[in-house]
Amino acid sequence: MSKWRIIAKHEYLTNIKRKEFLFVTFGVPLFIIAIMGLSFLLIGIGGHNEENKIGYVDNTGLFDSSNLTKYTDEDLARKDLLDNKITNYFVIPENYTATGKIIIYSSKKNFADNMKIEDQIRNFLLDNLLKNETSDIIQRVKKPIDPEYFTLNEKGLKSEDSGFTIILLPLVFSMLFSISIFASSGFLLQSVIEEKENRIMEVILSSVSHKDLLTGKIIGLGALGLTQVFIYLTIAAVILLINPLALNLIISQIHISIPLLAAGIIYFILGYIVFAGIMAGVGAIATTSREGQQIAVIFSLTGSFPFMFSQFIITNPNEIFAKALSIFPLTSPITMIMRLSITDVPLYEIIVSIIVLVFSAYLTIEISVRIFRASLLMYGKKPTIKELIKYVRQS
Amino acid sequence: MENAVCVLNLSKSFNGQNVVRDISFDISKGEIFGLIGPNGAGKTTIIRMLLDIIRPDSGEIRILDDRLSEEIKDQIGYLPEERGLYKKLTVFETLAYLGALKEIDSKKRAAFLLQKMGMLQHKDKKISELSKGMQQKIQIIAAIIHDPDFIILDEPFSGLDPVNMKLVKDLIMELGKEGKTILISTHMMDQVERMCSRIFMIHKGEGVLYGKIDEIKSRYGKNTVLLEFEGELKNIQGVKKMNNSGNYAELILEPGADPTEVLKKLAEMVRVSKFELSMPSLNEIFIQVVEGT
Repeated sequence: MSKWRIIAKHEYLTNIKRKEFLFVTFGVPLFIIAIMGLSFLLIGIGGHNEENKIGYVDNTGLFDSSNLTKYTDEDLARKDLLDNKITNYFVIPENYTATGKIIIYSSKKNFADNMKIEDQIRNFLLDNLLKNETSDIIQRVKKPIDPEYFTLNEKGLKSEDSGFTIILLPLVFSMLFSISIFASSGFLLQSVIEEKENRIMEVILSSVSHKDLLTGKIIGLGALGLTQVFIYLTIAAVILLINPLALNLIISQIHISIPLLAAGIIYFILGYIVFAGIMAGVGAIATTSREGQQIAVIFSLTGSFPFMFSQFIITNPNEIFAKALSIFPLTSPITMIMRLSITDVPLYEIIVSIIVLVFSAYLTIEISVRIFRASLLMYGKKPTIKELIKYVRQS
Repeated sequence: MENAVCVLNLSKSFNGQNVVRDISFDISKGEIFGLIGPNGAGKTTIIRMLLDIIRPDSGEIRILDDRLSEEIKDQIGYLPEERGLYKKLTVFETLAYLGALKEIDSKKRAAFLLQKMGMLQHKDKKISELSKGMQQKIQIIAAIIHDPDFIILDEPFSGLDPVNMKLVKDLIMELGKEGKTILISTHMMDQVERMCSRIFMIHKGEGVLYGKIDEIKSRYGKNTVLLEFEGELKNIQGVKKMNNSGNYAELILEPGADPTEVLKKLAEMVRVSKFELSMPSLNEIFIQVVEGT
């Protein structure tokens, strides 16, 4: 077995047991699910538990219903409401057809209920107002538009997701990807600095070359990041399978296509290598893990640029700004994932961004190996920029 | 005899400062060789260059008849001066990993060496649960886990109590008898004096002494008296220099001084329990060399 593989295996197996890894991998999705579930649950509670019993007082003589209790006298309705025989009642004034005014009384205040009651009353009113029309017409009046969007270009028609998904999908997707990228390259930084701090680096370097050490670390922790991505996808798939009622609305609109997934994996791997290469270099220079993290933040912040401008990218995915971010190697993986999940990105742009990424990945690793070699064992001494340039030019 | 290590005109500087300057020495196969000098002389830098951890500015290194390659590294065992291990791994996991990096399945030998160093009952403990001395023993085991032909020990005795020091010393002697080539780097010269056949002494990055210990000593003449005594020692005629440690002293005689005369004068002054005419210690030779330069 080549030595980098032994190192990769070691890094993978020791880091997968880390508390931080388990937290990011399982804690974050659980947290998101918990928050989403909770809010749906809260909305759900009011309506499902107790059925609303609605009464009405009709002063126009136009309305009739089998579902709702009709009162001829408002005092009777009021009495039943206070006795909890009904939960609400409404009064249709004589001038209703002219004003549309409806007065609704309820025994307690509940916003979620109000929406439901309004729905019931609306249906009741429409049914009565349109009693001479066919049931199709009544349905159309109740729900006049069921939209479906298409973009038309030379290649033909393409269906597009609408509404909620347009914002949600690329954001969630790219966010999980970048969490994985940042987490695993962060582990790399930690692992380099840890081995420097506990001085075991020197023993390892007496057995393997600098390049094998770095390759092993990058591949081992990259595999860890991929594992994390697959766990995220598995959790998502499980949720899709269980398909809880509350999430139905969102889930019915999510389509993760295979090409998008493939592109996602490619961008993940390349993006990760670039960040990992940078973190390895930072780890070699930094004297303590705190210092390492301080330097690393500069790069992570640059990397999370697409999030700060996510609204802009999502609403204008083919503007020059989004295009520029998809070529710059630190931001391109996340920007591209965002754009790919909402729009057609021209093939040449994908190719250019991948070429730039591959080149940057090669460059960062090459530079990091040199810095690694030159300054790894300079305990307690941080090289100056001038010295760094010298190291990189050497060898 | 064949050489295990050849170092030729080796130089290295950091930030314009010469840490190692034009150094050459050989280590024969199967010998215990001492690389000695005070702290900061450049010993660790030389060792790191031997292991290709840092690159020399100029000069040539050949190890086990070859230019240093990844394969050669598998035949070298290294105990660095800066000690450290993975805190969260167990003793056995650590040894298995470090052994695997030398491309060897080390379980059996790990158990054997742990037994030998009296550490077997700790094999499933985490490194962080061990005392410093225990950790050091684990590191020595890690350095020879793959049964290397060439072993580099950088300050192997620092931080050890007398019992463990003897344990390590016996281990080194045993490895020597097995025909391993051993390089011991240390500033504790009296330690190597009794173990090494040849030494290379370095001071401020430059080689100052090189060769067989006996030859070096005889070059400095049989002009030293090792003395054990009770009482207060004062200057005596015929003694050029006195390294007094309270009830033990090393006296360097002036050229041509008569040891018998010195003994007479000593007997008048203190109670002598031991008087031995000897060659100077490496320590003394080193001091002379440094003061002479």
